Amino acid sequence: MGWAERLFRSKVFVWIVIVLPGLYPAWPILSGDPTVLADPLKYLLHHFGFVACILLASVLALTPLRVLFPRWRIALALNRHRRLIGVSAFFYALIHLGFQFLHEGGWPTFFTDIKKPFLFIGMLTFLILLVLAVTSFNFMVRWLGGRRWKNLHRLAYVAAPLAAFHQALARKLFPVQVLWIFVPLALLEIARVARQRMKAPAAAPIPAPSRG
Amino acid sequence: MRIRVPKDWEIRESAVTPESVYRLRNRREFLKTLGAGAAGALLLRSRSLAAMTGFPAAVNPDYSGDGLKVTPYKLVTSYNNFYEFGTDKGDPSENANHGWNPEPWTVEIAGLANNPGKWDVEDLVKKMGGIEQRVYRHRCVEAWSMVIPWDGFALAKLVDLADPKPGAKFLKMTSFDKVTGSQDGGFGGPYVEGLRLDEARNELAFIATGIYGKPIPNQNGAPLRLVTPWKYGFKGIKSIVRMEFTTKEPINTWQHLAADEYGFYANVNPTVDHPRWSQASEQVIGGGVFNSRQKTLMFNGYEKQVAALYQGLDLRKNY
Repeated sequence: MGWAERLFRSKVFVWIVIVLPGLYPAWPILSGDPTVLADPLKYLLHHFGFVACILLASVLALTPLRVLFPRWRIALALNRHRRLIGVSAFFYALIHLGFQFLHEGGWPTFFTDIKKPFLFIGMLTFLILLVLAVTSFNFMVRWLGGRRWKNLHRLAYVAAPLAAFHQALARKLFPVQVLWIFVPLALLEIARVARQRMKAPAAAPIPAPSRG
Repeated sequence: MRIRVPKDWEIRESAVTPESVYRLRNRREFLKTLGAGAAGALLLRSRSLAAMTGFPAAVNPDYSGDGLKVTPYKLVTSYNNFYEFGTDKGDPSENANHGWNPEPWTVEIAGLANNPGKWDVEDLVKKMGGIEQRVYRHRCVEAWSMVIPWDGFALAKLVDLADPKPGAKFLKMTSFDKVTGSQDGGFGGPYVEGLRLDEARNELAFIATGIYGKPIPNQNGAPLRLVTPWKYGFKGIKSIVRMEFTTKEPINTWQHLAADEYGFYANVNPTVDHPRWSQASEQVIGGGVFNSRQKTLMFNGYEKQVAALYQGLDLRKNY
């Protein structure tokens, strides 16, 4: 096993990679970056939302990478961490929601904001992630049963486009980063579905009509 | 009549450091703001001595911003929306100071005016009788706000100078097409804004050539920009090159980009939401983490001066 594979198999390594983006804001805040100090809660809101989207897109990219490159040991190694990465996406989303709550000044604005489409979609995305996080425990897998659990967790594929939509509408102009995060994922998923269809056709193979 | 002779030690009120700046965390922070302002402005762009005339300007007592907490200079000059220089808040202060020198600068007055012409900014300011300082609230459509001491002259004076013809109903203003370091900004052309002629003549409408008693930095719209404190900030077109008197209501850039979100009037109105977010409250820039949210006021608190302009106008339809 090479050092790279060992590294990507390590839970500690993945934990560090997941937690570091959460600590990153300390740097501009402590160094007094005026663009951050101008509206610190907004900066933190955008930062944690951005990381949540990246984590969500990353975890969904793992299975396609494994399917498309079955001999790539690093992709295999990372697939062990899907639950960890997925649940951390939820936690970043939770903190993101917390900053929104603080920035808008509490409950009253919260309930009026919910009526706005992109905030409503954001809330919906969060609720999906909440359900997935809560059912991510081993005993939940056992309680729901493998098939039901798998179907429930397919909701992650609904969360991703909702998250993209929410992120796309958050600024005055469309932010290009949405494309950088979600287009590669979309391409991977399309390729993965295509590959899986090739390997195991959905219907029973019908004998090809004889040509002649 | 008592004639008051100022004592030797007295300084103009406009030279007073805003308390919010003075009370920055420590002395080093305070000195940094001075550096960013005076020395920084001189280092970033060499200003001819002529431009310095008029600074610091006397505060107009009608707009002294009594009771308002002025936003620190450092934030006003580094938290900007000036998409020609990048769409992140910190981009304009970086990119607008890479070799762009808005000097010399000509403003063209055109359209239905009896006195059209091309004015060098220095001459225009002299013609306006110099500059004064006004402390205004500034409210961005993105739901954040600042309090800024602008230095400049009343737009009404410029309108009088141009002497619009009877058919003129609107004033259309245009910004630069391209200068050093600027891009398209996603606008597809120079930034355009406009006012109804009676709005342009309102006592509050202001053309700013400086802030905090210093020449206006590039990222804030050098060498001159519009300030209409009762409207959202995007109405404040920066780096104006042309002012044209027209009969038709101009289509301002943001209305052109997203008419369902941004209109011609852009009056600050807490009862009319932006389609994607509420306008009922605003974030005070530099207000810190706690208690920095405040209720948005109708016409940004300038109802007394401008409400008459909109009698009978449906502000929900004409946003």
